[in-house]
Amino acid sequence: MMRDRSLPSYCVISPGSVLDFTAGILGKGPVMGPMVRPDQPGFHVFDRLRRPEDLVLEYTTTTMPPKKAFFPPTETVFRFSAGDPPNLTPVRGDPPWVLLGVHPCDLSAIDALDRAYSFPPPDRRWRHNRDRSIIVGVDCMPDEYCFCDSLGVSQARRPCDLFLTEIERGYLVETHTRAGGELLGEARTSNALGQDFLEAEHRRRQKALGIQARLSADPGRLADFLEAEPFQEIWEDIAARCYSCGSCNTTCPACFCFTMDDVFHWDLQSGERRRAWDSCQLLDFAAVAGGHRFREDRWQRVRHRWHRKFLHLYRRFGRPFCTGCGRCSRACTADINILDETNRIIAAATKGRGHA
Amino acid sequence: MKKEKPRIAFFDFACCEGCQLTVLQLEEKLLDLLDHVEVAAWRVAISGGSDAYDIAFCEGSISNREDEERLHRIRETAGTVVSLGTCASIGCHNALKNQWTGGEVLELVYGGEAGRFETLPARPVASVVPVDYQILGCPASLPEIEIVLKRILTGQPHPLPNNPVCVECKRNDNLCVLEKGVMCLGPVTRCGCDAICTSYGDACQGCRGLVDEPNLEAAVRVLTENHRHAIMDAVARGLRVDRERIRTWFSLYNGPDLQLEQEKTGHGP
Repeated sequence: MMRDRSLPSYCVISPGSVLDFTAGILGKGPVMGPMVRPDQPGFHVFDRLRRPEDLVLEYTTTTMPPKKAFFPPTETVFRFSAGDPPNLTPVRGDPPWVLLGVHPCDLSAIDALDRAYSFPPPDRRWRHNRDRSIIVGVDCMPDEYCFCDSLGVSQARRPCDLFLTEIERGYLVETHTRAGGELLGEARTSNALGQDFLEAEHRRRQKALGIQARLSADPGRLADFLEAEPFQEIWEDIAARCYSCGSCNTTCPACFCFTMDDVFHWDLQSGERRRAWDSCQLLDFAAVAGGHRFREDRWQRVRHRWHRKFLHLYRRFGRPFCTGCGRCSRACTADINILDETNRIIAAATKGRGHA
Repeated sequence: MKKEKPRIAFFDFACCEGCQLTVLQLEEKLLDLLDHVEVAAWRVAISGGSDAYDIAFCEGSISNREDEERLHRIRETAGTVVSLGTCASIGCHNALKNQWTGGEVLELVYGGEAGRFETLPARPVASVVPVDYQILGCPASLPEIEIVLKRILTGQPHPLPNNPVCVECKRNDNLCVLEKGVMCLGPVTRCGCDAICTSYGDACQGCRGLVDEPNLEAAVRVLTENHRHAIMDAVARGLRVDRERIRTWFSLYNGPDLQLEQEKTGHGP
């Protein structure tokens, strides 16, 4: 696509206009956005938005990442029925037409998945869903698990269409794509003034200061370390505490592995093929016919997680497949913190070399 | 020519018959099932019954000689034997009594009449005869019952699901109950229930048995030691959770599994 030289463009939207804007897009199709969990106030969840007032743009994190808008936890891929040849009917994805309230880390993760799922052979389901959605990002304030800044994604914008930063008058709106501009079309906005930009910049600085947790080496050096040394003691130590429950992967915004299963209908002649989120930490993830498991030991699976996130995918796509969102550390039932463990690896690699 | 429908039969051993009742909860889908099978015997659903059947669903644990003999007869008659529910598949609550080997349990239950009864350690069906399919859950999970019925009728195997409950729980976008200060056995418990308890905010009690290679040491540590989740830490302290208590909790459903795991790895709660 030709780059539009007028972009990004800027304007300001008031909180009241955000409500009207949301009400407007809700009338035109399914919209997903962050809202308070009905079962536990204080926690947030990305879900189908039904009332504009349910949208919460100031939230810290959500239990599951917004990738579920394009890559649902479970979905039907096609229906089949017996015949010669068998009849296969693809089932198209049903993404929201607008995904609201995505933080920079999660935008960066969607960008990572865009790359991973475009790698041949491309995942057509992901592409189909992504092509039908408009993404509105929003800036955030970090909590103690966030380390996005040291991964360079704390101010990520790609691939959002619109991006909001909270300011005194409401939000400073950045329009990044023509689709975003069209979406914003009917909303009541005003010109962005010098003061608005200053406030947005101030807020970005506050955010950067608020991110206390940091990776102690840049991702490129981390990849080199992981390639150079086995670190087996560290993997074994983590494995001793790890349940292999897979929650680190299933809450990860940048994990993209799935498993497939066939479900028969009651005529026993037809059914559907489903795919669902999977996890490389699970014992049977790399099981093959004959019963062999490629990563039989728990420590091998732990190592695989770090190698995927920070070595193999880094080499292939030029970026780590971790955004520092902290969901895995928060969700870990056994209290394993990805940042602490990664910094331990870096410390072990740099020990006695005079370049910490 | 239309193929003859296989005949199914249900048998109960030491149990509450709740799993048979759960199969009845297929409700309108029972009509679909009846398109493919004839019912030979099903005590909670029909009167009478016949001794000629092809697929036998056995619920409950085997806990005396009479049970053993009856189960052997069933195995000889049926081409396919299914252990239905946790009592039949891993022993469940019945196996709690196995920790007392003498006659104490008999006396506790039957008092002066204890001498009239004979009892054996409670065992799952598969410890007595070969089993072709297993369905887990207390009670057996309805979606899994449906899946296994279809697999039997289409001649497919049904390997036990081998992920922890956490996987299904996360796919349902649940907030981890640990975050709410509820202790949970989900990380070491076999899935297949669609995380029904945790999806309603309750703890997993482990009713489907342990996954293969559960990290029990990690479970004990998480449940006893100081925890980063402040709220859970408070709960752990409030309950004064110690190893013994955790052992009791685990044993509720998993007595025989724990014993096996202990023998294999030397670890256990």
